[in-house]
Order: sequence, then structure tokens, then C-alpha cells
Amino acid sequence: MTPLSAQLMIDVGHQAAFGALAAWGFGVLFNFDWRSLVWCSALGALALALRTFALAGGWSLEAASFTAALAAGAVVALTSRRRGEGADVIALAGCIPMVPGAFFGKAILGLFALTAPAPAHAEETAIFAIVAMTRVILTLGAIGAGLAIPSQMSRHRGF
Amino acid sequence: MSAAADPVVLRHRDLERIANAALRVGRILMECGGRVSVVREGMRLAAQGLGANVVGERVGYASLTLTVGAGEETITRMIDVGPHGVNYRLDVAVRRFATQLAQQGGAPQEVNATIDRLARETPRHPLWLVAPATGLACAAFGRLLGVDWPAFLPIFLAGGLGQWTRAKLHARGTNPCLIAVAVAFLAGVIGGSGARAAGSASAEMALIASTLLLVPGVPATNAQTDIMEGFPTVGSARAVSVAMIMVFATIGIWGAEAVLGILP
Repeated sequence: MTPLSAQLMIDVGHQAAFGALAAWGFGVLFNFDWRSLVWCSALGALALALRTFALAGGWSLEAASFTAALAAGAVVALTSRRRGEGADVIALAGCIPMVPGAFFGKAILGLFALTAPAPAHAEETAIFAIVAMTRVILTLGAIGAGLAIPSQMSRHRGF
Repeated sequence: MSAAADPVVLRHRDLERIANAALRVGRILMECGGRVSVVREGMRLAAQGLGANVVGERVGYASLTLTVGAGEETITRMIDVGPHGVNYRLDVAVRRFATQLAQQGGAPQEVNATIDRLARETPRHPLWLVAPATGLACAAFGRLLGVDWPAFLPIFLAGGLGQWTRAKLHARGTNPCLIAVAVAFLAGVIGGSGARAAGSASAEMALIASTLLLVPGVPATNAQTDIMEGFPTVGSARAVSVAMIMVFATIGIWGAEAVLGILP
């Protein structure tokens, strides 16, 4: 294993571990039962690991998030008959750690900064805010599409 | 002929009870964070199990309308929807009940009693668990966003206190947008100042990570799914409400940054 790939594996392990932890925490907030929380954590780890691999391969955040959500959605769609009602929500909870909430906050803070009486670096701030907001919209769209495609193609549509 | 003996009046009364019971199923599913297709399916299964056909339904963000029929008779009823949240276990319990009702049948009174019982008795994680779990999720989010280790514990504490505050304010009926401002400000100040005191080099990101409990991830994704599945009205309403919550949360973040002197 080359030093680069060893570093990549460490990064993937780190992101997967904290993706699982974040999905577990939000699963508790969303009142998942203990068994479903294990699924949430596993899907969170899977999604973040795949996204990190894809980002390391030079993919955009949006493409990487789409692929990760598609994989999480596919795992759930393939096993939903066994787990019954509400399986679709588990896939969604697993992808919550990929929701770009911090980008959204930064985008709006950038827009706030532009409304100052004499904004410093107005052009840079405007571009930053627009880019951040665009990434929020596209990444959310990518996650939603990635989750929806396997669900729509599945015979068991998740009720 | 008296009203009690009139078969048309009796049928309308039956249909009214069926419509109201099915609407209660739909309301719980909507309040638990269900997609529009899930809410419609839940109402359809309930009405079917009670012996009526669904002629039409309208799922709105704040209300549901259902028309049920049997033979030539139809009736339309409407119900308000309360605050939207996410409650997986109640959602699954009501989905299972609706499926079982469609297969085995039942009476409207039984449906109402069961819905009341499920709402009352379905277990919820206690706040002493939810608050630290949410704090842990925020701290993990922070690590995913690249904050350093010294900021981990402050974000955990800030996120946990933020969730505890949110639950208390929610229980008092406070407006969700005002909750977003208050919680973002409180969690941001605690997370940002705590990270700084702990020697973190990423205090600004720690401040933002402490507020990520407020990001309405489930409604944001449901908004898109609803639009994809042919329900743009509710999808758009969800998207607007998500944007509003985020704008108000950002006001709280902005206030916290002003207090800590790290405004860009």
C-alpha cells in the first residue's frame, strides 16, 4: 500500500466513523428504535465512506453525494421487504450527515455581509455566497435524487 | 321518515366517521415527517379497511382534505395538521396499523382509539438521551467539516444544550422560527467560545457546527421527493419552510459571531 492510499484509508475510516456517529445521533433525535439506529449508523458510514472515496478521486461534492445517496438508497430498497414499513426513512437518516447545512449558513452570512453599509471585498463575498448557495441547492438535489431513484424503482415503494 | 331511519343519512354519518378516522391517520403521518405519497397511502388504506373508497384527497402543508364514498354517496371532510416533526417509531406504528386495517377491517371508533393509544404509548427517547445524542451528532458533523479535536467537546456541549433548549421551547409552544434564532445563538456562543477557550484553531467552524441540529434535513429531502412524485405544492411549502428556518438560524449564528467578535 502506498503512503497516499494509506492516508486515503485513514481519511475514509475517519469520515465513515463520524458519519456513523452523526447518523446515530440524528436517529435518536428522530426517535428511531435501537435496531434501526444500527442501520442508520451503517448507512451513514457507507455513505460517508463512498463520498470520501469519490472526492479523493476528483469528483465534485455533488456527484460524490449523489453516488453515496444512491448506494444508501439501493441498500435499503434491496432489503426493504424484509424490514417492512418505514424503511425509506432509514436511508434518509443515513444520508443526513451529507446535508450541507454549514454551506447554507455560510451562504446566508455572506449575503448578510453584503448588506453592510460599506461591505469589504464585496465582489469576493458575493461570489462566495453565490457559490455556497449553489452548492447547497445542487448537493441537496443530488442527495434527494440519489435516494429517490432506488425507491421509485423498487416494487416495495416504502409504505 | 325519521332521520335515524333514513338510510341515506345513516350512510352519510358512517362515511363521515370513516373520513374523519382516515384523516386522523393521515394527520399523524404528516406530523411525523411522512412524504405526501405516504400520507395519501395511509388515508387510502384506512378508508379501505373501514369499507369506503377514496374518491379524492388533497394534502396541504397545514391541512388535509379527504373525500370518501360508498356507492352513490360521497362526503368530504378536512382536518388541520399540527407542527411538522420527525418521529420514526410513531410513523412506523401508524403505517403498520393502516396496513393491518386494510387487510382485516375495523370500525371508525376502534381506529380513533388505536390512534390515540399509539400517539400516547409509542415510546420516545427521553430528553436526557436525545440532548447528548444530538450534541454528539453536532460534534461528529464538526469533525466531518474539519474542526480540530479541541473543539469536539465544546460542540458536543453546545449541541446538547441547544437541543435541550429547543425541546423546552417547543413544549411551551414557541414559534419554530424564534426557536431557531434562540437555539442558534445559544449553541453558537457556547460552541464558539468553548472552542476558543479550549485552544481550537477552528472556533468559527465550531460555532456553526454547534448549530447544525437546526438543519431540517428530513423536510429538505422530503420537499424534493414530494415534487418528484407529483406534489409540487406541498414540496414547495416544505422548501420554503426549510429556507425560513435556516434564515432564522443564520440570524442566531450572526448574533453569536457578533458577540464573539468573529464576524467576517
